[in-house]
Amino acid sequence: MSIRAGALRGVFGAPVSRYDQASALWLLAPMLAVLLVVAVFPVLYSFWISLFDLRLTRPHRVPFVGLDNYLEVLQDELFWSSVWRTTSFTLMSVTAIMVIALAMALLLNEEFRGRRFLSAMLLVPWAIPYVANGLMWKWIYDSGYGALNGLLFQLDFIDKYMVWLGDSHKTLALIANAFVWKEVPLATILLLVGLKSIPADLYSAARVDGADLWRRFVHITLPALRPSFMLVMIYETMMAIRHFDLFFILTEGGPAEASHVLAWQVYVETFRKLSFGTGSALAYIMALVTFLLAFWLIRTLGRKL
Amino acid sequence: MKQFDRRDFLKSSAAAALAGSSSFGVLSRALAADPINFFAWSAGVDQVKSHISAFEAKTGLKVAYANAPWAQYRDTLVTKFVGGAPLDVLWVSDSWLPEWAEAGWLAPIDGYRELTKYNAEVDDFSTKSMTYKGKQYGLTYYTDYMGFFYDEQMLKKAGISAPPKTWDEVVQQSLKIKKAGLSEYPMMLSMARETWLIEFISAMVFSHGGRLVDDTGVAVMDDRRKGAREALTWVVDAVNKHKIVSPACVEIGELNGLKAFSSGQHAFAMLGRYRVRTLNDPKQSQIAGRVKQGLMPAGPNGSHATVGWNRFYGLTASAAKNKAKAADAVKFIEWFGGKADGKYAFQKLMFMDVGAGFAVKPLFKDPEIIKTYSQYSDIKMYERQQALARKKDVVSPWFGEWDEVNGTAWQAAILGKSSVNDALKRSADTWNKLRRRS
Repeated sequence: MSIRAGALRGVFGAPVSRYDQASALWLLAPMLAVLLVVAVFPVLYSFWISLFDLRLTRPHRVPFVGLDNYLEVLQDELFWSSVWRTTSFTLMSVTAIMVIALAMALLLNEEFRGRRFLSAMLLVPWAIPYVANGLMWKWIYDSGYGALNGLLFQLDFIDKYMVWLGDSHKTLALIANAFVWKEVPLATILLLVGLKSIPADLYSAARVDGADLWRRFVHITLPALRPSFMLVMIYETMMAIRHFDLFFILTEGGPAEASHVLAWQVYVETFRKLSFGTGSALAYIMALVTFLLAFWLIRTLGRKL
Repeated sequence: MKQFDRRDFLKSSAAAALAGSSSFGVLSRALAADPINFFAWSAGVDQVKSHISAFEAKTGLKVAYANAPWAQYRDTLVTKFVGGAPLDVLWVSDSWLPEWAEAGWLAPIDGYRELTKYNAEVDDFSTKSMTYKGKQYGLTYYTDYMGFFYDEQMLKKAGISAPPKTWDEVVQQSLKIKKAGLSEYPMMLSMARETWLIEFISAMVFSHGGRLVDDTGVAVMDDRRKGAREALTWVVDAVNKHKIVSPACVEIGELNGLKAFSSGQHAFAMLGRYRVRTLNDPKQSQIAGRVKQGLMPAGPNGSHATVGWNRFYGLTASAAKNKAKAADAVKFIEWFGGKADGKYAFQKLMFMDVGAGFAVKPLFKDPEIIKTYSQYSDIKMYERQQALARKKDVVSPWFGEWDEVNGTAWQAAILGKSSVNDALKRSADTWNKLRRRS
């Protein structure tokens, strides 16, 4: 087999033969085919669908409407209020996750009796499936027999049972709380990995220079933790924007429209109204917003990684 | 000895095939025949299977039975229809009839006298619930209505001797019960966003003498005289002014409402009639033996009317196109929705085993049913209220879309986020927009 001058070079700079290139392509072909079928085709097809007024319950009339579905979504007041609610939910959730996960990671980075047990316990919420988590919180928040009311009542914090999810002022924050509870373990682990990678020498040198605990945290821990911090923030932001399960199980978008977020609107359009055209358009808008946000986060914050 | 060559082998194979086809003709027809494809939601599965077995034994026909959970049933069926999956007979909810009929997935059964002859013995609202644009689309499987229940013992403790006959009396009695410290929120209403919400809303509106939509399909829910204003105002006042209904009602679904009422937290409840069996079951309810059914209270301009619902056996359009298949499917529908061996066997079986309601009036006279029902409720009241049940007036091809907005609007009014008039106007505007579009 011949190696042509100027041929491709491999990972370690060694030239790659035509035979190797062809073999690589053949070996990758099955996976590429699978990706084409399960990822690329559905994505393109759903875009195609978004250009039609496709309602499953009206199968014999599917007119081409171009970008009308997108315009319809963008002119819908409910869409913009959903954007606002999704933003609120994301800000609340991600802020809480970052603060709690950082505190937990700092705690677990210290040596103390019971640290291993605490680390194991931390994983419990992460191990619980989202649906089970939702049902558990539904029971906790229930206004009639919920554990939260029971606890607060027994501790004399309240003199009668409160309305939780049914109070539209509290709904979004309560769902965010359930989301945070589930997400904190993963965030903690990722931050803990970052903490473990900080050389102990840096802290020793800072101590010799007379830096107190706060200064060591601000000048060593936080800068060194930035890559993990960015990773967690971007991941959790994406998760919060797309989150659906808890809204479905706890409130179904209610009461009134108090928890009607973007992910819920996509579900309602697509699977309740069976309007696949507008549902796909909405999903595309949501995907685009998520992508742009992730891009912005990586460009502005990620460059400091 | 002659050798058995390739030609002999083919000859003998053909002969064997011919012999086989004639000797086992009957058996092979039964085995190879296209079965009746029956799809239902996963309720009373054992009862359905046993009744299918009896049908197969009686007719020699085969049935391919499959089911899906109620929560995913509509989506599953729509996907099956669109995908051209084999479906012949299926359970249909009255809420989906216009949608599925308009899509051309269901076929009317008016042409099958062996099915329509049962209408004479079925409650009128039940037959109407299976009718769309003047055509009947099925035979009833299960029928029930929204009932009004009260805890007799709690009423007695509060010095109340008779249940309320009007919604005003519900307020007065509730305030009395509240004052006596027997219940913080005496009336249990489930107003959570779920499929049951429209039944609760319709029962309130009908008993207040109103309508959501008139007979011509025009939205009247925002009409001051004949709409839903009185009903929604009553609910809003009950929550915010009289405080006899919990503000948590917007998060309480039908099942949670049942649990709350059966735990003794409330004096009155609006629930599906069939729930009375659970409410008076000591294993499932703390107020067993104390729950009585009353007529739906009437509004100032209303009556004791309530809303009824119907689930029925529908014949698919694809089955109806094939004469032989349609004939088999009709036999199957009659066996389940009509009489099997001269009796309403399946409806009785479902009532006796799981407490499901029925629309065939002769069963109200069945001694076994009377005896069983008297163990936990009053069959006369059951029958009397059912005679006052009406079909939902909002069932339309756009019902699903409108229902989303209407539920939100009612909740917004209850939470004080919008006025009663604004909520009903929003609901009516959405209805009219969807109606124009379709």
